[in-house]
Formats: sequence, C-alpha cells, structure tokens
Amino acid sequence: MERIIFILKIFPLAGLLVLASCNPQSVNEENPEPEPFSPTPYEFPDIPYFPKNFNIPDDNPMTVEGVELGRYLFYDGRISGNTDKDMLMSCSTCHIQAHGFEVGINHPKFKGGKTFGLPTPEYPEGKPTPNFMMPLVNTVYNHNGYLWNGFVNESNDALGNPHYGVPAREPYNYKNIESLVWMAITAPHEMNSTVDRAVAAIAAVPMYREKFKAAFGTEEVTFERISKAIAQFVRSIISYNSKFHKYLRHEAQLTEQEQRGYDLFFSEDADCFHCHGGSVLMTTNEFFNNAKDSVFDPDEHDRHWVTGDPMDIGAYRAPSLLNIELTAPYMHDGRFKNLDEVIDFYSGGLVYSDYVHPLMKNVRQKGVQLSDEDKMALKSFLFTLTDYELINDPAYSCPPELKEWSGQVNY
Amino acid sequence: MKKLSFIGMIAGLMVFFGSCDKNNEKGEESTSGKVIIQFEHYADGAPLVYDSMMYVNEAGNHYEVTEIQWFISDIVLKNKDGDTLLLDKDDFAHYVDTNLPDTWVWEIQDDIPATEYQSISMTFGIKGEKNKPYMFTDPPESDMLWPYPLGGDEGGYHYMKLNGFWVNTNNERQPFNFHLGVGQERDGEGNIIGFIQNWFESELPSSAFTLSDSETKVITIRMDVENWWKDPNTYDHNIHGSKVMQNQEAMRMGCENGRNVFSIGSITTKPVP
Repeated sequence: MERIIFILKIFPLAGLLVLASCNPQSVNEENPEPEPFSPTPYEFPDIPYFPKNFNIPDDNPMTVEGVELGRYLFYDGRISGNTDKDMLMSCSTCHIQAHGFEVGINHPKFKGGKTFGLPTPEYPEGKPTPNFMMPLVNTVYNHNGYLWNGFVNESNDALGNPHYGVPAREPYNYKNIESLVWMAITAPHEMNSTVDRAVAAIAAVPMYREKFKAAFGTEEVTFERISKAIAQFVRSIISYNSKFHKYLRHEAQLTEQEQRGYDLFFSEDADCFHCHGGSVLMTTNEFFNNAKDSVFDPDEHDRHWVTGDPMDIGAYRAPSLLNIELTAPYMHDGRFKNLDEVIDFYSGGLVYSDYVHPLMKNVRQKGVQLSDEDKMALKSFLFTLTDYELINDPAYSCPPELKEWSGQVNY
Repeated sequence: MKKLSFIGMIAGLMVFFGSCDKNNEKGEESTSGKVIIQFEHYADGAPLVYDSMMYVNEAGNHYEVTEIQWFISDIVLKNKDGDTLLLDKDDFAHYVDTNLPDTWVWEIQDDIPATEYQSISMTFGIKGEKNKPYMFTDPPESDMLWPYPLGGDEGGYHYMKLNGFWVNTNNERQPFNFHLGVGQERDGEGNIIGFIQNWFESELPSSAFTLSDSETKVITIRMDVENWWKDPNTYDHNIHGSKVMQNQEAMRMGCENGRNVFSIGSITTKPVP
C-alpha cells in the first residue's frame, strides 16, 4: 500500500492505472485483458569451437520475431525517411549479403568500395564516408567495441550528437549495435536523415503493424524498437561454415596448397594469427598499428582518439578475415585493392614508426619475406575463409516484398 | 539384547539431535578457508614500467615491455606433513593479461583445509595433457591459441606472450615477441618430427603460510621480468631475434630461466568486512 501511495504522489496517472488494475471490476468487455506477449526466444546453434559468451544487451533479448522484424527493417530503404525510390538507403545498400555484408570493390555506385551518404545541398553527390567498411558478421561474439577504433562500446557514457541534430538523451548512446542504427540514419555520410523521419516512414507502412506487435507486444513504432530489432538481426548474422571451419570440424579437407597456406598463416612464417586470432572468428577484435605508415595525422577514427594512449596512434581494429575474398578493398582506408596487395604489404612493405605494435616483429625486415609460391599458398588459404552458406542463406536475405524498397543497386 | 538396542537407538538419536542443536547455535562449522591470488609484474626490483626503454638485461640489451599475457595453472599447496593439495575446483588455469586488470586477481574456488602450509607451487603455462587446442572458446583466453602446426594436439595455448622492443646492434628499436609454448623437434631438413613440452613447475620460495578457519589469504605472485633472460642462461635478443615460437633452443633457455622468475610478493589476510 505504501508503494501505491508513493506512486500516487509521484505519478498520479500511473497511480490511477495501478489502482484501476487492482480493481477486477475495471476489466470489462470493452477493455479485455491484453493478450499475453510471449515471443519465441532466438537460439544460436551450438557450433564447435565458437565462443559461448554472447554480447546481447539485457534490455534487448533476441527473439525469433525481433530478428525477423529486424531483417525487414535492415532491407527497407524507407528507414532513411524517404519514400522517393531514387532516394532510398537501407542498411543493405552498403552491407550486401553477397559481399559478406560489406559493399565490395566492384559496386557500380560506390566505386572502389568507397561509400557516401544520400545527397545534400552541400554534397550533391553525397558526403564520403570517412572510413571503409568493417565486416558485419559474428558481431554477437565481439565484446571489444565497434567501429575501427572501438569508440562505440559499453563503457562510453556519451549521448546524442548535436551535429546530427540528435538530442543528448537515451536511447541515443554510443554503446552497442543499437547505437549504430541511429548513427547510420542521422550521419550526413550515410542516410542523412532524422530519427523522427525514419519512425514516421516505417510507421506509415501497414505491414509493420503486425510485425512490431509480434516482436514487441504492440503495434507502436518507436525508434528504440527499430534500433533493437535491427540490432537483433545483425547479431543473428554468424559465419561458421567456411571451408576452414569445416576443416576444423573434420568435415572438409584442404588442398595441398591451402594446407601450406594454413601452415604459413598459423606460424611465425607469415604470422597472421597473432592479430587475426587463433580463434575461429579470425580476429582478436584488438587494435594494432600494423606498420602501414611512418607519419600520422590526427585521426578521430584511430584507437588513440578513444584511449589517448600515444601507443595507439595509427592503431585500428584487426578485422575478421572471414569472407575476406569478398570484402575488398582492405585496411581502414581501403588502400589495398586486392589480396595480392595485402600479402605483398605484409611480406615486404612494412614501415617502422615509434607507434608500431610489437607484434609487427618483422618491421625492421620490412615484412615476413614470403616467396611467390608461399604468397600463392597463403592467398589460397584465405579463400577457404569464404562462407558460401552465409552469403546464400535466405534467413539473412532481402524479403521479396522489399526488393523495390531496399535501396540496393542491382548489378 | 533388545534393551541394549533400544538404549543404543535412544543414544544415537540424542547424539544426532544434539549435533543438530549445536549446528543451529553456532551456524555451519568451518575448518577451511579461501585463497585469492593476485599478480604483479616487476623489473629490477620495482613495478614494471611499460613502454619505456629503461631496462637493460644481463646480455646488455636495452629493452622495454609493452604487454605480458600468460597462463598459470595447477596451484599446489604442500602442508606441514608433506601432503599436497591441487587447487582446481572450478578452474585449473588462469589467464593473466597486463592490459586487463580483471585478470590480475584469481579467486580460487576450492575450500582449503585450515592448517599450516609449507609451500606453494605453480605451473607456468599448462601441462601438455591438459593443453588442448580450442578448449578455450572465448577471448581473451582463446586468443592465446598455440597453432596446431607448431604444437600438435598438445600445443593448446601459449604459455606466455611477452611483447616489447629492444635496441638491436644497428641501434634500432626493434620489436620482440618472447612467446613461450610447445617447441618443435625437427630433423636435419627442418621438418617437424615431434613436439617438446616446455611448461615447468615452480615451487615459490618463502611461500609458507597458515590458513585459519573461515580465513581468506591473499597471496601475491610476482613475475620478475628481467629473470627471463638470465640464470642459468644469458639470453641475448640480438642472437635469438624477434621471434622464438619456432626456435626450441631459445624457448628452452627461457623456460630454464623461468624457474627463477616467480616469487611471493606478499601473503596477507583479507580483512573481514
């Protein structure tokens, strides 16, 4: 009773609701009991050697219905707040399933893999995105922040972005994948819209009423629900069926050349594994200055910008190498157009700086000095990291009814 | 006889209920305590200063340390009678990372008999029969994988990654990765024909302590970094270079020196809140 009195003092309306709910007479035929909301919990497959610790926020548990709604929103270009089909942009405009959920280097619009936002008066051709893309697979296993510098992470207390017209209040934080949704919608170099326009555009699509109700209990479209659903879908994208994974599970054999590449990768001869992980994720999700440069301009996208540690100058996340065959160009600035250039760099193109990470131990020899034969073998192994089941999985694909609204460029 | 049985039954019930009353009055009796292990990293008798070219090893190499990541396992206590107790209730191994403060404390889950202990011993790394590839599925432990080509089925995980820089003979600052784990036995042509376990046990000097009922001892294990490169072997970065995972001779020297790397920093009693 004390609690009810307290609620009445603080929230008179809420208190009335509490009292009304205490009175069984108040439930009548005009206001029947709401249907129980019990979505189906989403379960990940139990994959040998894969992490068991999932990064799923407590306030956004994954459900089958939430993931499905997220898939629709991921592929719906109206989330950019536009209904003109020439102005649509969805997550899938750049995060393309066929390219391991990156844009790829052969995109007819984003030449060379360089993405840009929707047109603005200031940028009629679209504002260029500052960095090249990162993989959008196996994010549910990442506990070390997002983006190239890990700026979006659970300990980041910042809110909003006045430059994007986003108020400094929840849910506009910088903590997780949910945060990346509002950032993508409002950033001038991406959808260049507002969260209000996004909500209005999605709410105007009749089919979403049922999907929001299934995922969240009511038909109400809110930005928080949009971001949670998309985050659920993104977390559901896991890559675990490459030939490499099957080799570990004794379901496939490597060719002699692939095996040679595997031995190089997982030894100090090529020494890829220390940064790209001995784990099945093919990344440590850690940040390294990998000896690309000797001079560094201040960059708000490097790790130093987050930590302030001078040793992090010029350091960026080591991305997963899964599906690397599909995700050119490479490095945070896309400087390498193909895997041959990448391998040549690590073989003989390293440059020393005071900020180089010590794992780049061959920097004084300019690299690991691979023979042409070993370079071919290493590339052959890297091709085994392509997960063809991922890029063809209908569970991750564009719903047929959204083909014309996806904002994807067919090619 | 029946009378004796009846008396015996009554006596037994009295003892049973009496013991219950006693427990109720005093709460659960305890003849055990707990141990918490902390880790610290030193160089030249003081806490290690990272990323500073301020140290000189026995070989005369000027060096700096960026980070240390390592496994400790199989903590064994020896009591005053010489009996040993392996502490492995939940975890037989613990990962320590100088970048991750959460790893600097290992709360042992075993209930440890309250008595006098004459020594503590530990295993550096993980013993081969327990060191299985992919047994750790989550980072950061999983990122310590010792690759199959270099360690086979009992390669498992690095014992340690000690990364830093030294000043080479060209007076250049050059990275080194002093990574220890399973070594390779090779034939004359360099082909791997077997693997060599390099883990070692270390009985920590001056590690005697007494554990009382319901007490928690906080034991600090110290790593003296400079000792990796001296006694009995003078280890020279200019000879062994930047990498040693495929250099069993270098790893052997390091692991032999490792017997003198670990010591007790302190043993204290955790205050009762």
